[in-house]
Amino acid sequence: MDVNIIAGSTTKFGELWHVSPRDMVRQVVEDVIDQAMISRSKLQAIFIGNMLSSSLGGQDHLGAFFAEELGLSIPAVKVEGACASGGLAVHTGCLAIMSGLYDTVLVVGVEKMTDYKPETVASVLMGAGSEAEREAGLTFPALYALMTRVHMKKWSTTEKDLAYVSVKNHFHASLNSHAQFPYQVTLEQVLKSPVIASPLKLLDCSPITDGAAAIILTRNKKAAIRNKTVSIIASVVATDTLGLAEREDLSSLKASVIAAKNAYHQSGISPKDIDVVEVHDCFTIAEIIAMEDLGFFPKGKASFAIKEGVTKLGGYPVVNTSGGLKASGHPVGATGVKQVVEIYQQLTGRGGKKQVKDARIGLTHNVGGSGATAVIHILKCL
Amino acid sequence: MISPVKIWRNQKKIKTLLGCKGKIISWSKIHVPPAGFENQAPYVVVIVSLESGKNYTAQFVDWEEEHLRIGQRVRAVLRRTREPGEEGVIPYGVKFKPL
Repeated sequence: MDVNIIAGSTTKFGELWHVSPRDMVRQVVEDVIDQAMISRSKLQAIFIGNMLSSSLGGQDHLGAFFAEELGLSIPAVKVEGACASGGLAVHTGCLAIMSGLYDTVLVVGVEKMTDYKPETVASVLMGAGSEAEREAGLTFPALYALMTRVHMKKWSTTEKDLAYVSVKNHFHASLNSHAQFPYQVTLEQVLKSPVIASPLKLLDCSPITDGAAAIILTRNKKAAIRNKTVSIIASVVATDTLGLAEREDLSSLKASVIAAKNAYHQSGISPKDIDVVEVHDCFTIAEIIAMEDLGFFPKGKASFAIKEGVTKLGGYPVVNTSGGLKASGHPVGATGVKQVVEIYQQLTGRGGKKQVKDARIGLTHNVGGSGATAVIHILKCL
Repeated sequence: MISPVKIWRNQKKIKTLLGCKGKIISWSKIHVPPAGFENQAPYVVVIVSLESGKNYTAQFVDWEEEHLRIGQRVRAVLRRTREPGEEGVIPYGVKFKPL
């Protein structure tokens, strides 16, 4: 793959009532164009990751919407795959470069969620699930709660094990000025937070968030930031059934397992080579399952490693330096792009207080729905 | 959005599930519901492994605390699923009750 990242930016994540989706996209795009030191006219296509602009905001046709905002008349396409929309947009951007048709493309992820009532947001997010799940009144916390219950039975995972994930990710977020919740929480606070869908509690859940993220991809290595080039060495997507009921195993996401296997094959990298990881911790259980599915720990062993601080800053591999979806926030269409921005910053030594020392290889793991889509990217600093 | 046409079309699927027995393979009690289910919360949702070999996800009704466990035997029954929409059609669907 000859695909290189030459710029990456995110907005502050949070409850941003004073800004519109247009404002957020304009901010990150101006930032990446400045960083890349290229003229706007070099951009040849735009890929936009977004899930809910239509069901919440009534706005379809996002390609033209943002091309107009940026004053460009180039091809512009919205890519949707629920909470994996951002990762799919990055994948589509890679395909565009690899096709040979484009040299330089812009990938943007954006979501505006906090303008609406939580019940409404919970309801439209279920568009990512199956018909039977919507009919049963399920929510995303409840879908992951159903997986949690099975993981608990099979691997003796406890509510305390889940809480350690939240504590770690909030610690990382406390070092990230762009995080929605840039502060720490205690184990007791997590365990005593109100139940959302048993056994998951409020502080096991990622929040509803506004935010945008952007990267510029190019074939031309010379255009890359002086002295450090970050290349995408694997870009892989896998899918599974929309609903949980049709799955063989509820304690693992088959799409993640397949995507990881193919990404390691494509890049020639194995989990032990990876310094820094952003996984899709939409709920605390999701980070535990991801660490097992991606091959970092054997099945049933991730909880112990997380509890021991193996994946915390200073450990190896460091997981969710941004604070993850849990504490940095989860603007669904932006998340997959933001994960790539975080790893790009880590690999170019611009991670700030949360910088992982000498990070050279990083992985992003973005999941749509309850695991019906998984997108994995592996980035390497050359 | 509730569509009377969709409700009518789904009746055929409901008919094949009614009376089917199975076991709970996972459950959760939902305290924070989505739009359309506000009046029912908290409620329990289960995934059931049916004797036919298929799994199905639906709400759990008529339960006591002792029934909230993996392995509990259940049977599919017909119940009202959510508030009627502007069309005035009452949506019915499958729920499970303990055996």
